Amino acid sequence: MIGQLLLNGTVSGLLLALPALAVSLTFGILKFPNFAVGGSLTLGAYAGWVFNTQLGFQIVGASLLAAATVALVSVLLDVAVFGRLREQGSIALMVASMGVSLILENLCRFVFGNATRSLDVDVARPLRWAGLRISHEQIVTAAAVLGCLVLLHLVLRTTPLGRAMRAVADNPTLAAARGIEREVIVRLTWAIIGLLTGLAGVLAAIDRAVEPLVGWSYQIPVFAAAILGGLGSPLGAVLGALAVGLSEELATLVVPTSYRQAVSFAVILLLLLVRSQGLLGARAVRK
Amino acid sequence: MTAYLVTILVIVAIATLVGLALNFQWGCAGLVNFGVAGFVALGAYATALLTPVVGWFAAMLAAAALSALLSVFLALLSIRLADDYLAIVTLGFGEAVRLVLLNEGWLTGGALGIAGIPRPFASLIAPEHADFALLGFAVALVGIVYIILEALVRSPFGRVLRALRDDPVVAASLAKPVLILRIKAFAVGGAVMGLAGAMHAFYMTYIDPSQFTAITTSYAFMAVIAGGRGSNTGLMIGAGTIMLLLEGTRFLKDLIPALDGAQIAALRLGGVGVGIVLLLLLRPQGLLREPQRKAASLLADPERADAADPSLPASHPQEI
Amino acid sequence: MALPILNRRHLVAGLGLAPFAIRSVEGAAAQGAEIPLGFVIPFTGATGPYGPDMKKAADLATKTINDAGGILGGRKLKLFIEDEETSATASVTATRKLLEVDRVEMVGGFWGSPPALAAKPLIVGANKVQMVSAAAPAITEGDTKNLVYRFQAKSTQWGPAGAKILKDLGVKKVAVLAQQNPFIVAMVEPFKAEMAKRDGTVTDVVMYNPDQASYRAEVQKAFGPEPEAVFVLALLTDMVAIAKEIYRGGFRSKVLALGTGADADGAFLKSVSPEVAEGIHHLQPAPPLNSISYKKFVKSMGAPDGTVFLFAGNMYDQVCVTALAMEHAKSTEALVWAKSIRAVCNPPGDEADDIAVALERVRLGHDINYIGAGATCDFNDQGDQLNRSFLHQVIEGGKNRIIDVVS
Repeated sequence: MIGQLLLNGTVSGLLLALPALAVSLTFGILKFPNFAVGGSLTLGAYAGWVFNTQLGFQIVGASLLAAATVALVSVLLDVAVFGRLREQGSIALMVASMGVSLILENLCRFVFGNATRSLDVDVARPLRWAGLRISHEQIVTAAAVLGCLVLLHLVLRTTPLGRAMRAVADNPTLAAARGIEREVIVRLTWAIIGLLTGLAGVLAAIDRAVEPLVGWSYQIPVFAAAILGGLGSPLGAVLGALAVGLSEELATLVVPTSYRQAVSFAVILLLLLVRSQGLLGARAVRK
Repeated sequence: MTAYLVTILVIVAIATLVGLALNFQWGCAGLVNFGVAGFVALGAYATALLTPVVGWFAAMLAAAALSALLSVFLALLSIRLADDYLAIVTLGFGEAVRLVLLNEGWLTGGALGIAGIPRPFASLIAPEHADFALLGFAVALVGIVYIILEALVRSPFGRVLRALRDDPVVAASLAKPVLILRIKAFAVGGAVMGLAGAMHAFYMTYIDPSQFTAITTSYAFMAVIAGGRGSNTGLMIGAGTIMLLLEGTRFLKDLIPALDGAQIAALRLGGVGVGIVLLLLLRPQGLLREPQRKAASLLADPERADAADPSLPASHPQEI
Repeated sequence: MALPILNRRHLVAGLGLAPFAIRSVEGAAAQGAEIPLGFVIPFTGATGPYGPDMKKAADLATKTINDAGGILGGRKLKLFIEDEETSATASVTATRKLLEVDRVEMVGGFWGSPPALAAKPLIVGANKVQMVSAAAPAITEGDTKNLVYRFQAKSTQWGPAGAKILKDLGVKKVAVLAQQNPFIVAMVEPFKAEMAKRDGTVTDVVMYNPDQASYRAEVQKAFGPEPEAVFVLALLTDMVAIAKEIYRGGFRSKVLALGTGADADGAFLKSVSPEVAEGIHHLQPAPPLNSISYKKFVKSMGAPDGTVFLFAGNMYDQVCVTALAMEHAKSTEALVWAKSIRAVCNPPGDEADDIAVALERVRLGHDINYIGAGATCDFNDQGDQLNRSFLHQVIEGGKNRIIDVVS
């Protein structure tokens, strides 16, 4: 029983990991809490649906195309909205992202309507192993997310782009002084964020369904995970996501299911009290 | 038509109260509250449960007190945390409140809520004038709160808060007194949110959990920003702006020829999002008097590059 | 980008006020011939999926009546439709706008109970008729001034029907998996009571909140102990997610669900694959499936034969009943024609299920008993519908198969 919960929790956490990463990156490099993540997830889900069921791509191809679509939209949003607001401070950006989330969600609703849809993915009976039920979706999700994380880690740690992104995150002025073109880095960061959320949207759609509210329901756990991990730390976001996922599943052992989300927040609080900068965040002066 | 406008004005008044509270917590004291909906809900439910027992006035006081108390509790919880983790604590609080409201039916009526909430002065007013009377009550309340908060902001208490908000080094060296001031500021904001909840309960006379969701918190932040953050006067215009967007789009959609119902709804809500974004984009350059708050200061970062001069909120009316 | 002359407040003020101005002018002129009817229907939020069909049905009824010459000497009906947003606050502003600006004589729709409950005092206070499709018992309680009518089976009726069906399926022990939603929550206790009466037991009640990111944990909790059956009380979007979880988890317990989730006017079958849906039983209030009028309704809605319309059918009926009552009372004033509702809907009278025919009969002074597209439409003194029987179906091979009708 516990084993099953651990498995379910890990996969739930992995589902949250990509959007949590996106939020962490936005915060670290773009310096504001991005509330458009919900709308972007929804967009990713619908993009995946279009490529998969309407244009006939297999799910893998459809997810990549969906990820690319959201990446493109994210960059466009930066050009049209976020880029122009960069000098206005993070709060303006935050509120703008709330507006953008509303726009993205309702754009999907406008074009596709309210109906709940599904991707053209075979649903299968689970594998049984050591008393656990492991569904195919869980395997696919885990593989996709872990693959993404490894890729992202490599990009951040070994490529010039990654180094530039980290430089901008740590000290934009110094980075500029060293010739790192901030605008370009920012656009590329948005593209990466878009790729992550787009893929996550498709995974969410496989897990649940394609409908206008699918992204919205992830928004709060995603933020909780990102903040728990220490905003600005990608690995922290992943750990935070796993912590949220696991605590939400394991909570059912001790509290009625309808309160399990509250438990995950309690766990977050405890973790933050123990480690006040978030799991991996760097904190200095506390006011 | 007037009754409809009265409805809208009452809702704007309630939104203004929430905005005033948020502006005090965040604009003045630099405390981020993502659980706004939870505090308002507390005030509303406290009012709903207590008014039949102790009368509306005592119930309102209780609502404010309860909200303030929980604000203190949350602020204390986050004392050990890097300062702005208040955000996640309040977020969790908002969620916890929502869950309790939904699941503890014996107390809150659960998903079905509480109906038949009596209004203040109900027995003295003819039913036709009930809404007008409530509007008057709401406006009076907003006026009183506005005056009190303005006084607080200009007081030594307020000045210290604003100074501390912008200079973390000084704040760190002062430690304990700072924390107490912050907690007080958070509690004041919480109390006002409780009052807003009470007004909401009186107006709707029926409350249920669906009235206090995360979108409420979003609308509150939007209202504060739309008005020009830091200005209490501006915030009333901001609250009115959001309301105009929400309600004005009802009429716009009536002008559009037959579209699918979901499409019309999507246009409307999407229109609110577009409205907000346009508002932010078309902001005239250079008219901003409030301090530039970067993400850095929103969610604790040691490098507080150029904290601009803190303006005295509302004593310099902006863009009117 | 920055317009120095036009600051953002001017822009918004302009955007916001223009439509008000236009409507005020319009409002004055349009009152002459058309009869305004208001509807509050969900298009966004968790109950959003049900809205579009509801609007379609209301539009269909209106068009049918207007094409047949309208009522009261050729006057046409005009619908004003607002979004319920699955929110009581939105319902209040929407209702106010309908009452005060559009000047409607009735406000119908109301899928959700909180929106219905929040709007009720406004509508009744304005002496207009409220017609709902929501299930909370509180809606028709208290002094409704004979103005509130429910076009839906009360929550308290759904539960016992479920218990009966489970008994028929030979199930003795059942777990409940339910959403914290006013429509659903009120079903649980009557269900448990009825199960007890029939020597059955409810082993566990697992509640979940709406708008969750995942329902895996709840499905695990309810299905993990491998009960004989699980009574799943869900709406469409969560039903889709839950059904997939059940399948992916390899759980074998029998599933009895609500039609709101497992059918939703055919939407469920479009959202999941046949393997996932296979074997799911569900129940919902039964429309008069065999009436010619209902079959015509299904066709006009563009749906395949045999589709069971629940909320959409209720919308159709709300419009038709309003038209019939107004024609019968020869008045558009709510307090007057409300008295005619039972006259045209309840027996005795010629059974009439075609609205154009029914209207004719009423004009000629005959007594009629309207049979609607959603139900037989007979109302008791409190405004609740009588004779709501439930349709028990099972999904086989990607299609619904009717098992029986339970009352």
